[in-house]
Amino acid sequence: MTGFYARWGMVGALGLLLVFLTYQDYQTRLSTIPLSGIMSGNTPKEPIRIQGMVKSGTLAGKVEQGEATFEFTEGTVTIPVEYHGPPPENLRELKVMVLKGRWDAEAYVFKAQDTALVNNYGYVAAAYGVSCLTIVLMLFAMSQRVMVLFKEIKESKLYEPEVDSLAKKQ
Amino acid sequence: MPFLKTIQWVVWKDLVCELRSRETISSMLFFALIVILVFSFSFSMDQDAARQLIAGIIWVAFAFTGIIGLGKSFSSELQNDCLEALQVSPIPKGAVYLGKVLANFLFILSVEILLFPLFILFFNLDVVAELGLLLLVFFLATLGLSSVGTLFSALTVQIRAREVMLPVLLLPLAVPVMIAAVEATRGILNGDPYSFYSQWIQLLVVFDIIFTVVSFWLFELILDS
Amino acid sequence: MNRFIRYIQRYKGWFGGAAAICLLVGLYTGLLVSPPDYYQGEVVRIMYVHVPLAHTSLLAYSILFGGSIWFLWKRDPLVDNMCQAASSITALFTGLALVTGSIWAKPTWNTWWTWDPRLVSFAVLLLILAGYMMLRRLVDDPDKQGIYAAVLAIVGGVDLPIIKFSVEWWRTLHQPMSISTRGISISDDLLLPLTFMSLGCWLLFAYMLMVRTQMLYLIELLQAKKGRLLSQTHFSQSAQ
Repeated sequence: MTGFYARWGMVGALGLLLVFLTYQDYQTRLSTIPLSGIMSGNTPKEPIRIQGMVKSGTLAGKVEQGEATFEFTEGTVTIPVEYHGPPPENLRELKVMVLKGRWDAEAYVFKAQDTALVNNYGYVAAAYGVSCLTIVLMLFAMSQRVMVLFKEIKESKLYEPEVDSLAKKQ
Repeated sequence: MPFLKTIQWVVWKDLVCELRSRETISSMLFFALIVILVFSFSFSMDQDAARQLIAGIIWVAFAFTGIIGLGKSFSSELQNDCLEALQVSPIPKGAVYLGKVLANFLFILSVEILLFPLFILFFNLDVVAELGLLLLVFFLATLGLSSVGTLFSALTVQIRAREVMLPVLLLPLAVPVMIAAVEATRGILNGDPYSFYSQWIQLLVVFDIIFTVVSFWLFELILDS
Repeated sequence: MNRFIRYIQRYKGWFGGAAAICLLVGLYTGLLVSPPDYYQGEVVRIMYVHVPLAHTSLLAYSILFGGSIWFLWKRDPLVDNMCQAASSITALFTGLALVTGSIWAKPTWNTWWTWDPRLVSFAVLLLILAGYMMLRRLVDDPDKQGIYAAVLAIVGGVDLPIIKFSVEWWRTLHQPMSISTRGISISDDLLLPLTFMSLGCWLLFAYMLMVRTQMLYLIELLQAKKGRLLSQTHFSQSAQ
């Protein structure tokens, strides 16, 4: 009985660990930094991701060849951006999007290298969470029931085959 | 007793019971009238809106009236242990099934034919040109409903909460009949050419054949248990 | 105890372990390795859980269908237990496929529910399964219960393809299938997690089916043995 709960406890701990690792990976690779955050100066050297909207009437340069300058805005904060990278297919004015790149504090410009779609992980997390939780709960309930039933049958000595009881009587 | 003779006797028995008591058909008719009234209160319709909605309303009314008739078909056998008499009598059970399907089919179809003029009257519809095709759709859809419905009527009559379980089990399975009947009826009432809704009539024919055969085989298991 | 139940007790762990490994690999590749879709972004990852669940629920229903025919043919009570187990697990998988489909529909089609043919067919399947489980509860006699449930499962199984066709025709009639294609061409990046998740879901279904069959069998066994014990004590008391 303790073995059963220990096994399920291990499964639960492993599940929690995996969720935590996935969340961390998501934080480092995919989370965005607010625009006001990068102005404060203590941004890391590796590429960061920022989310905002391309300001209307500021997009200039050869977008098809992957060279563009525009202003990027989120709320009240607006920063200039120099895009230099693979030809962005979804870069246009008034588009909410995610930029990957570095903040150049001296030149006061964001040097973007790549674009990305706005990520909405809420739906993904909801779908996976609902499915995994329901299945695991049902599996746990079933396994526990089987374990208890086996124990009950064993303790009440009901599992003995008919033949044996007949043999004893004779 | 030969097979066809048994069918004939089962139908005859049901018809005679019905003629003497007039229970099933009168309750179905009144229920359908009330459904029509409720629908006319819930949607205040002009003639254009009526033409759009009428096919759906007709078949909702017919399906629920049909379920009342189907439920009565076997629950009336519970009196005086008639069901057990059917179970133990030395007759082919498939014949009992076909007889019951035929009787239910006749009840529901007659109610539908009596009600349809009322629909035309109450909802100010134009008189339909293609009455023959409309009758064909009524015929096929009613046959499909009663072939599955008779099986489940025999099944639910022996369990608890049978009045609830018959529609709960029957309506999801009757989804193709409902869709096909509604679409074909709408096409006919709109005066569309035949090719627009011929696929629905074919679907109804396929459904009727498959489910009469399948229910015919399964009915024996239900009545024997 | 039934020989088959002992086999299940001995070998079910392998199925559970294989399912866990496949699902872990599938989750890792699906959530972390595979790239986001060009149009849908990260939301495309819902596909890796939605599509396998949907496939598995259809597979599970076909097992319920086959098991029902088998039961009506051989009248093996263990097969009846298996059918009952399959019905609840199929209902779980169908419900989850519907819920994940709905969650997927919100960001892609901007609605929680649309009368898409597949969604409607799955909703009808769920209704049939709900009717099946209600029917099981409402019949007290165990012999009748198995037969009635098997009849319902067979009629439902014959009906499902017809429902799917009729719903598909009905939808194409009323609106062109503009949103029916999910906007994804299956490339290798998508295929790898999809394969692992499908395999994992099938194995998981097999494992759950084993555990639940075992559970239902043991409940009946315990009831039967307790009943026999009671009648034995009663008999011995009355003999004295």
